[in-house]
Amino acid sequence: MHMKMNKKIAAFLLVTALASFGAGVARAADPLDAATQARIDRFEKGPATIDVSKYPQGIQDNYEIFQQKCSQCHKLSRPINSDYALPDEWSRYVKRMMHKPGSGIDSTSGKKIYEFLVYDSNIRKKAMFDDKLAKLSAEDQAAAKAKIKEVHDAYDNK
Amino acid sequence: MRDELDRCQKTETDPPASRAPVPVWIFVLTLVLLFLGAVYFDTYGAWFNKQVYAPYESAEELALYQPKSGAAAILAHGQAVYENVCGLCHGSDGLGKTGQAPPLVGSEWVLKDVASLAHVPLAGLNGPIQVKGQDWNLAMAPMGAGLSDADLAAVLSYIRTSWGNQSSAVSADEIKAVRAALGGNGPSAAELAKMTPVERGHAVFQKYGCFQCHGQDGKGGVSNFNAKTAEQVPSLIYVADGYTKDELIAFISRGERNIPRKNPAGPEPPHFMPKWGPVISANELSDLADFLFSLKPKGENLGF
Repeated sequence: MHMKMNKKIAAFLLVTALASFGAGVARAADPLDAATQARIDRFEKGPATIDVSKYPQGIQDNYEIFQQKCSQCHKLSRPINSDYALPDEWSRYVKRMMHKPGSGIDSTSGKKIYEFLVYDSNIRKKAMFDDKLAKLSAEDQAAAKAKIKEVHDAYDNK
Repeated sequence: MRDELDRCQKTETDPPASRAPVPVWIFVLTLVLLFLGAVYFDTYGAWFNKQVYAPYESAEELALYQPKSGAAAILAHGQAVYENVCGLCHGSDGLGKTGQAPPLVGSEWVLKDVASLAHVPLAGLNGPIQVKGQDWNLAMAPMGAGLSDADLAAVLSYIRTSWGNQSSAVSADEIKAVRAALGGNGPSAAELAKMTPVERGHAVFQKYGCFQCHGQDGKGGVSNFNAKTAEQVPSLIYVADGYTKDELIAFISRGERNIPRKNPAGPEPPHFMPKWGPVISANELSDLADFLFSLKPKGENLGF
């Protein structure tokens, strides 16, 4: 009986102490730029895997490289649910990541990751993709379509 | 009567003294009330400051509503600039940050003559120094190079008279003199007018000390202990691959305060990207982006 009471008091004190400590830490922490943080949080809330069973084998292989390389530094749900969809957006994003010192992504695997992301967004994020494509100039639209065709030609029916 | 007497006599022992413990909820309630009381006092008590009265909650809040003029206005402006530029490293309390930035409170660098102090934000500070008997070996970019004489004077006045520091205010003329002695932060307006955007961008790169962390011509190689990026500050030669011009300018403007750690349990890496937006002008940022894009090695093609 006494033991139990002591435990209760101890637990309460602990909770109180932790709560005050937590509040203090939260106040002292350096917040990431609020808009960026909100954006990342939104992406990371989504699923962390993609059903690639209907994709060609080559793209499925690339998905594995994507999973292995990209999860070194961030959650996979971040790119999977991000608002990037166009080939150029993915090209910049992948290059930005691969040029970080120590990323361990060489240009061969970088290209495979890019191809996977382009292939996947063109199907899984169709609505977002079409919406973004429609906002491009005629010239850029043609260029984006050519880049997607290039990926499809390389992987479909193989 | 007789019966009652009998009953009394039949009682053989005294009833045992009740030694039931004080119920635990009283302790819990006391602690809860103490805690809430402390929180309430912290929030509304203004720490016994007799100048603070309802509905105001602290001396700081009250100060916000006082009309500012003369020296007070300059210090308030200095504080605003400080919070936006200097405070990211040196802290709102001027105490600095272990392993990242030395304290300004009681620092001989802050309290000594104006010329040596102004030299730091105007030209940056690189390499080993001592502050209050402690060794520091870091790089500070010339964060003040893009501030006006008046703004920089206000900031320095603020840090020299805050947090217990008691030193003289700094005038814009003093800043102007130090800036002139430094050669006015790079090329003159006439020289700049003759340059290409890339050349001007290179001057911006030098002016703000970007090379201190990103290496000469952005080639990288400067170490950043426990940073996930191979414990280095990233090189900049491939930014043309990874950013549009707008994206790059937006990134430089907002900076990156949280550098991912190689070992999550290890210390925060000493270097991070400052928030340059309040310091570098829009034209300079545009030239800087052009310069950075020009760094990409010729003929390299990743094929995607």
